Order: sequence, then structure tokens, then C-alpha cells
Amino acid sequence: MLALLKLIQSLIKTLHSAGTPGQVAAGMALGSALGLTPILSLHNLVIFSLLVLLNVSFGGGMLGWMLFVPIGFLLDPVFDKIGLSLLTASSLRPLWTGWTNTPILPFTNFNNTIVLGSFVSWAVLAIPIFFAARYAVTRYRATLGERVRQSRFYKAITASQVYNVYKMFRP
Amino acid sequence: MKVKIFRWKAIGPLLLLFLFLVLLVWVFAEPVARQTTEEASSELLGTQVDVGKLDLIPRQASVDLRALQIADPFVLTRNLLEADEIRLKLNPAALAEKKLVIERLTLRGMRFGTARKTPARPPSGKGFAPQVYRSVEQWSNQFKVPLLSLTPVDTIRQLVLDPTQLTTIREAQSLLARTDSARKGLEQGFQQLNLGPTIDSARAMAQKLSASDPKQLGLDGTRQAIQSVQGTLKEIRDAKKRVEALERKARTTVQSLGQGVQSLDQARQKDFAFAKSLLRLPTFSAPEIGSALFGKVSIDRFKQAAYWAELAQQYMPPGLLPRPTPGPKRLRSAGETIEFPKAKEFPRFLLQEGQLDFSIGGASPIQGAYTATVEGLTSTPALYGRPATITATRRAASSAIASIDVGAVIDHLTARTHDSASARLQGVKLPSFDLPGLPLRLDPGTGSSSLTFSMKNGGAQLLGRWAIGSKQVSWLADTSSRTLNEIERLVVRVVSGLNDLQVVAELSGSMASPSFSVSSNLDKAIARQLQAVVGEEVAKAEKMVRAKVDSLVADKVEPVKRQVATVQSQAMQRIQVEKQRLDAVEKQLNAELERLTRGLAPGIELPKIKL
Repeated sequence: MLALLKLIQSLIKTLHSAGTPGQVAAGMALGSALGLTPILSLHNLVIFSLLVLLNVSFGGGMLGWMLFVPIGFLLDPVFDKIGLSLLTASSLRPLWTGWTNTPILPFTNFNNTIVLGSFVSWAVLAIPIFFAARYAVTRYRATLGERVRQSRFYKAITASQVYNVYKMFRP
Repeated sequence: MKVKIFRWKAIGPLLLLFLFLVLLVWVFAEPVARQTTEEASSELLGTQVDVGKLDLIPRQASVDLRALQIADPFVLTRNLLEADEIRLKLNPAALAEKKLVIERLTLRGMRFGTARKTPARPPSGKGFAPQVYRSVEQWSNQFKVPLLSLTPVDTIRQLVLDPTQLTTIREAQSLLARTDSARKGLEQGFQQLNLGPTIDSARAMAQKLSASDPKQLGLDGTRQAIQSVQGTLKEIRDAKKRVEALERKARTTVQSLGQGVQSLDQARQKDFAFAKSLLRLPTFSAPEIGSALFGKVSIDRFKQAAYWAELAQQYMPPGLLPRPTPGPKRLRSAGETIEFPKAKEFPRFLLQEGQLDFSIGGASPIQGAYTATVEGLTSTPALYGRPATITATRRAASSAIASIDVGAVIDHLTARTHDSASARLQGVKLPSFDLPGLPLRLDPGTGSSSLTFSMKNGGAQLLGRWAIGSKQVSWLADTSSRTLNEIERLVVRVVSGLNDLQVVAELSGSMASPSFSVSSNLDKAIARQLQAVVGEEVAKAEKMVRAKVDSLVADKVEPVKRQVATVQSQAMQRIQVEKQRLDAVEKQLNAELERLTRGLAPGIELPKIKL
């Protein structure tokens, strides 16, 4: 229940932030990597750093993460197949062999079928996610946005202390 | 308007976060590493591994483990190995590639077979090691260890046999049904041959031609006659092929029925054994007594060796092909992690050199300092290029009569794997054990023990030998549980008089089909005494058993045997008759053909026509 409330809070705040739809969408595209791929992987540290350092919506990133976690779980069997086919492709074997024997790279767990399959899927889906999210945010702001902004619910959320912290990372 | 790409003010909080992460690692690395080591090694070895303390020494790229205990998977209350201190010197370059290369392992305060304070968890789960444990348990259960029967002969009064329990009767009924079905099948085959019209038409043609003269027939008439003969000969050859096919089928059927008859004789032998087991006759066959007394204890030794050899097969595979292993456990699917070994690079795991020092104290003849070395234990033997070796010897001789000599070679460089281990202990205190079927506990005292075990090509060839010898045997009789009968008292008297013990157990064959034998001076002595005392009575009882089984089986088996013989002989006779009929008519037609061709051009040798 708490997670659901947090999700709604994050959703509302992000959609009404000062960030442009493009910034929110870019944040969601980056955050989707955290949800689609196993979280405790080295590449996610890089993704998280990008989310913080790049001028994208951090809230969008968190929203993308939360939205894509269940999708990641659901798609694990597909990721497994994609990863397995990539790791067992004979044409790619020299690449994987090289990476396995390169310092640091093995810590990314790229040779795990789920990690590789989900990362490659995210890399392919990142651009469509960006455009879809940008369109959705634009449409929302043009239609429902103002009505929600006037609601008591929105005011209650924005008045909370967490919102002040969140504003630090607002684009 | 200039688009701002970087959020520079976020660098501070991000660095702070990284610092916090580093701090977390610093604080929790050792307990997490200790727990991970325990979990990973327990899963790998299939037995509980406990680590008392783990210290990371990053400057020296070393890890210190203290109070290590590895439980014996087969005796959960005992440790296979216990060590006070272990230092692992790791290769930092390999660590950067997420590989564990132990350049040097030193182990101090090592003890074997110590009692555990709390019993270890039994091997369970779906991991490879528990699977091997279960399969090795199953493997050892296939050896039929006979029970030592020491029932007095005078208690044998009557043998009540239920005919439905006898295999011979069931097999005879089944063979009878098969014989009937084979007879019908052959009869159908003979009918389908349909040789009558072919033979009749061939005979008619031969008779007609024998009455004709080629000169009167003319050139055209003779040519037509030759063509007719050739056509008929072709029909005869086709018929002969059908007969030959039926002959092959009949031979197979006859052979199968013959095997059925042989299996009846084997089933009768089984029924004799079954009926004999109902009488619980005392056995005085030395190999059976040997197996009954020392079978289980010997198989246990080989079972343990087979377990470790099977684990080595899994964890040290030959070759450099990518190999999948289950991925890490996590909330999400584990997937598979695929290793990609590369020539001239580090393997995923390598123990380059292990130095294990241990001492045995006290007044024992084997007391002294020992040293053991382990070299080349690796997950990819093809990369290391040499077989892994394990040796253990006494470093400083303290006693001339006692020694420990252990050696093992794990050669997985190529697909033709060869694992061999040998352990020779002299002057050691041998463990005592109960003798199955006897109220006696055998304490071999101080003696010698040796175990050699060799497994080639992943279990295709197996060779093992376990021997114990002692001249200080003592016997602990447990007569409180029940009163011993006459034969048991005799056996107890015989073995109690022995101070000497020599047991040799041998294993051969393959993992899939192993053969096992055990012999000892004990079983020979018992067999000799039993033969002298109850041999005659047992022989009489056995004769009675045979007569009883024969009386129940004979009227079921003999008619079946007769029927099989009839079907066999009739089938082959009929085939011979049909073949002879076809041969005769073919010969006749060939003679006519020759006459016709000779009449066509007398004196000219025509070229032979291949028909």
C-alpha cells in the first residue's frame, strides 16, 4: 500500500514538475533500465549516476524504475531467451571471451542470460520509451494537468516535507 | 537558449552517496564475505561448511579464515576436516577479472574426523552436490549385501511354497503364450507363401517342353518357349526369396523360443534361491559370509570416494568450451551464467599451491608433524595444463612403524579423464564397527588400512581396493539383547578366537554397472567351521528345497518345453521341404532350357545368360 502511495506521489509530482516533457521522458527512459535489469548490477550504478548528473527529471527516473520493475519480473523468461541466444551465438563468442578476460567488465555480470537479455532489451526499448513518455506527459499537461493542480490531493502532496527534498533534484 | 546538459550541483550529493556505499562495504564486507563463503562452499561441496571468522587484508591481497569446519556429508556428527587458521594469498590481477586465483594457501592446525558440537545439515536441495549425494546413495544401494543367516538346522521343518510366487511358473505361462503366437505366425507365413500354383505351373511347363522338339517348334516357337521358361524361372526365384525370408523369420522365432527355454532354467535357479531363503538356511559360502560381514563397511568407503570423484568431474570439466552454470540467487530469475575460458588467461578458480601442515600428537605411533600439498586444483584444467595433485606425508619421522601416505591425481586435461587416489595408513587406530547379523562389535585396534580408487572417463572404468589388516583384534560381545542359538554361539566362538584380521574389498566395472567383492580370513574360518558342523544337514535341506520346487514346476515347464521343441522342428522341416520342392522344379526347368538352346544351334556354345 505504501509503495502504491509512493508511486502515486511520484507520478503526480513528476507530471507537474517544472521539467519539460522531454526531460521527464528522458528520466523515465533511463529509470526504466533500473526496473528492467537486475538492480544489483554494475551498469545500474552508471545509469543512476547519469540520472543524477544529467539534466533530466530525477523523479521521472524514479517513476520509470517503479513502473518497469513488475514488467522486468514478467519479462524475465524472454530476457533469459534473448540473453542465451546472444551468449551462445558463435559469431559473438570472441567478443564475450574477450570481455570475460578484461578487468572490471566481468563485474557487470554481462555473461548472465537475464542481465544481458534485459540490458539489450532496455537499450532497444529506451528510445520508444522516451517518445511514448514525452507524448504522454505532453497530453497529460494539456488535458488533465491544470485540474489536478487545483485539487486538494495535489496540494496535500506538494505540501509534504519530502517534496522539498525532491525539489533539489528537480530539473 | 542554451540547453543545460549537466546538473553540476548534483556531483556533491552523488560523491557523498558513493562515499556512503564505500563505507557500507568497509563495514559489512567481512561478515558478508564470511556468509557468502559459507553458503558458496556448502553448496559446492554439498556439506555444511562453517567459517568462524574472516579477515580481509587488502594490502596483501589476502584473506584469513579462522575456525573452519567442513562436515562429513556421510556422517553428520563428524567433521571431515577442521582447521584453526587458513590464509589465502590471492592474485589481484585475477580478482580484477572476477576470478579467484589462490597463489598460496597455508593451513594450520588441521584435524580430521573431529566430532561436531551440533550435527550438520543433511545435503538437500536441487544443487549439483546434493544431487550427486543422492545418486551416490542410490549407487551404493544397488550392491546386494546378503544377510548373514545363522538359523539352526533343527528348526527347519516344513517348506510351504505358493506356486504363484515362483518365477518359473510365471515365465512358463508367458513362454507358452509366446510359443502359441509364434506357431500361428509361422503358419500364416507358410500360407502366404502360396507356393502350390507356382510349382504346379512350373511342372506343367517342364512336362510340356519335354514332349516338344526344338526343330519342330522352329525359331520363333523356340524363342517363345525360352521366354516362357525364363518367366517361370523368375517366379520360382521370387518364391525362393519368399521362402528364405520366412526361414530368417522362423530362425529368429526359434532362437527367441530357445532363449525362453533357457530363461526357464535360470528362473528355476532363482526359485531354488527364493525357496532356500524361506528356510533361512545357514550359509557357509565364504564369499557370501564375507559380503554379509564386511559388505556395508567396504561399500561406504567406495561410496565416499565416488562422491568426491563425481564432484571433481563436475567442477573440473575438460576442454575450453563455454559452459553454463546456474546464475546467482536473487528475487528475480537467476538465469544462466556462461563462462568463456580463454587460453593463456586465468581460469575462474585456481589453487596454485596449497601448503597444509598438521600434526598428530599424543603417544600414538603415528604422532609427528605432517605436511600436505595441493597443486593445480582448478575449474579449467585445460588452462592450467597439468593434472591437480594432492599429497600428504610425514615431515619428521617419529616412529618407524607408523606412517601416513596419501596421494591423489585429478587429470581432466582432456576428455579422457582419470581420477585416482590412494591412501595408506600404517600403525593407525582403526575404527571399530558392528558385524551385521552377529551380536559382536569388532575392534581392529592398531593396524593398517589402504584405499585405492581410480575412475577413468567419467566413470566408464572403475577400480577400487580397500583393505584393512590388524593383528590386535578384539571382540566385544553383546549377549544381553537375546539368547544366542547354537550356530550363533559357534560363530561367536570361532571369531572370538581370532586375533588376526585381513579384509580386502574390491570394486571394478563402471559407475553404471559396478561389481564388488569382499573377502576376509574371518569368513573363511566361519565357513570352514559351519561346513564341518552343519554342512550335511544344510545339504539335505537344500535337496528338499530342490525337490519341492521341481515338483511344483515340472508339470508346468515340461509341456511348454515340448511344445517349443515341436514348433521349432516343424517350422524348420516345413521350410526345408518347400525349398526342396522349389529346387527340384527349378532344376527340371533349367534342364529343359538347356535342351532348347542346344537344339536351336547344335554344336555352338551359346554365351551364358545371366538370369
